[in-house]
Amino acid sequence: MDALRRTHWIARITFLEAVRQRLFSFLLLLGAALAVSSVAFRFLNFGHGELKFVADFGFGILFLFGSLLAVVMTAQLLYAELDNRTALTLLAKPVSRSEFLLGKFLGVWAVLGVFIVLLCSILAGVLLTRAAEIAPVAEAAGRVPPSVNAAGLAIFALLQWMRLGIIAALTLFLAAGARTFLFSVVAGMLAVLGGQLQWLAQDLLTKPDVGFFQRSLAWFATRAVPNLQQFNIGDALVLESAGAPAGAAASALLAGSLHLLAFLFLACALFRRREI
Amino acid sequence: MSAWATWTASAALLIAAGSASDRSWAAVRPCIPELGARQLELSAGQGVLLGVLGGLRTLVADVSWLRSYVLWERKEEAGCEALMRLACTLDPHARYFWEQTGFAVGLDMANWEIRRRGGYARVSKEVQDHVFAAYARKGIAVLEEGARTSRNRAPFLIVAGQLAEMKVRDQRMAATYYRAAAESEDAPWYAARFAARTAWEAGDRAQAYAWYRDHWSSVLRVRHEDRAPDDLAELRMMEDALGVPAMRRIPRQPWER
Repeated sequence: MDALRRTHWIARITFLEAVRQRLFSFLLLLGAALAVSSVAFRFLNFGHGELKFVADFGFGILFLFGSLLAVVMTAQLLYAELDNRTALTLLAKPVSRSEFLLGKFLGVWAVLGVFIVLLCSILAGVLLTRAAEIAPVAEAAGRVPPSVNAAGLAIFALLQWMRLGIIAALTLFLAAGARTFLFSVVAGMLAVLGGQLQWLAQDLLTKPDVGFFQRSLAWFATRAVPNLQQFNIGDALVLESAGAPAGAAASALLAGSLHLLAFLFLACALFRRREI
Repeated sequence: MSAWATWTASAALLIAAGSASDRSWAAVRPCIPELGARQLELSAGQGVLLGVLGGLRTLVADVSWLRSYVLWERKEEAGCEALMRLACTLDPHARYFWEQTGFAVGLDMANWEIRRRGGYARVSKEVQDHVFAAYARKGIAVLEEGARTSRNRAPFLIVAGQLAEMKVRDQRMAATYYRAAAESEDAPWYAARFAARTAWEAGDRAQAYAWYRDHWSSVLRVRHEDRAPDDLAELRMMEDALGVPAMRRIPRQPWER
């Protein structure tokens, strides 16, 4: 119980620190402004429905800014403690290194949750308003009026929270072993890139005519790198009447939570050996 | 927890996460537009990575389409086709991209090639026909890909049929596409007539009549409120031309004039 209480306190302080960061406010305001103004970018839209364009724009902003926030904020909050020597003071008290690291992660994850909830609420407002405006026009033209699934958007937000949680845990693992803040950020962004392209290895595994060496490499890649693309089912969840296949979101959440836990364990193992 | 136990638990969790990820990816894959390693290789330098990575697929597809316009005006065939195909790859459900790419490759680029060879006055009619047919086949290949990936099948098959009819000048090939369009769920009312007419003109008169008759009885008459009287009129002309005996003709309909 004491360990939980200590972790909670560290998480709370980390959350307050993170919320006060200018990067968080800047990315949140920029993301909100872009999500609201996405309707004004319709002139760039050629081949798709308007709502699909707006939704895709919002999902893109959520992922790009969210990833940037997850990587930079995680590394920055850890290195700030290490560089200012406050970590030394804290760890001199009866606080284990794992509790310290877990507290940092939970604080960052909570901030990422706030970021996602705010941006998704704005996106939901924009989509529902536009859907209500478009519906009479579509009906008059004899077309099926577009619909927005608010529950689907809530599930999508949950998936994005998991995705950003994995990115934060992965960055924490890299930062726990790295020497500099810059290296952690660059390696974190490269890990995000790898995670977004991991599906290529996963697709390779399903092909029957792949050699042993390639298969082994793909198997290793799919275990070591999380598949971040599997959380990208916003279109199906929010805009399509059929929705996503049953259980798709739940299985993605399960796989994501296992990867998140694995990276947290790895971060703790590395941080335990680190010289502060 | 000892360091050894932590490392072991991490490895076990990673293996479990990988296995769970395999299963969840199999469930999620149909929701994500098809994009393979080949397309990534072909267009990695043109912004596709941003589209794939960032989720801004539609925006990158639109920007790519805009850039293709610039190259279209300059008549730069390779670059224009690459950018148009990139837009199709990034947003494979968009009918507009596939249809316009099919037209651009099948029609516009053939014109550019003839102009490049000296223009219509200098290039012989045989060479012009050859160029048009070659580009039309490329355009048809694009449209076939679009029909596979987009949600609307019929419009692509109709355009493919038009290219086959007018540029490849292969009536049988055109009839095949029109027939496929007529038999798809989103078939326009004229697709069956096109299919029957082109097959008829290709010389397959008996087959054209048999298919059209069967299609009218089982689909057109049921699907259309007015029971497709124009198609029946067309069928009557075919029966006359083929000399179908009165007993084997389509029975006279009560509403028929």
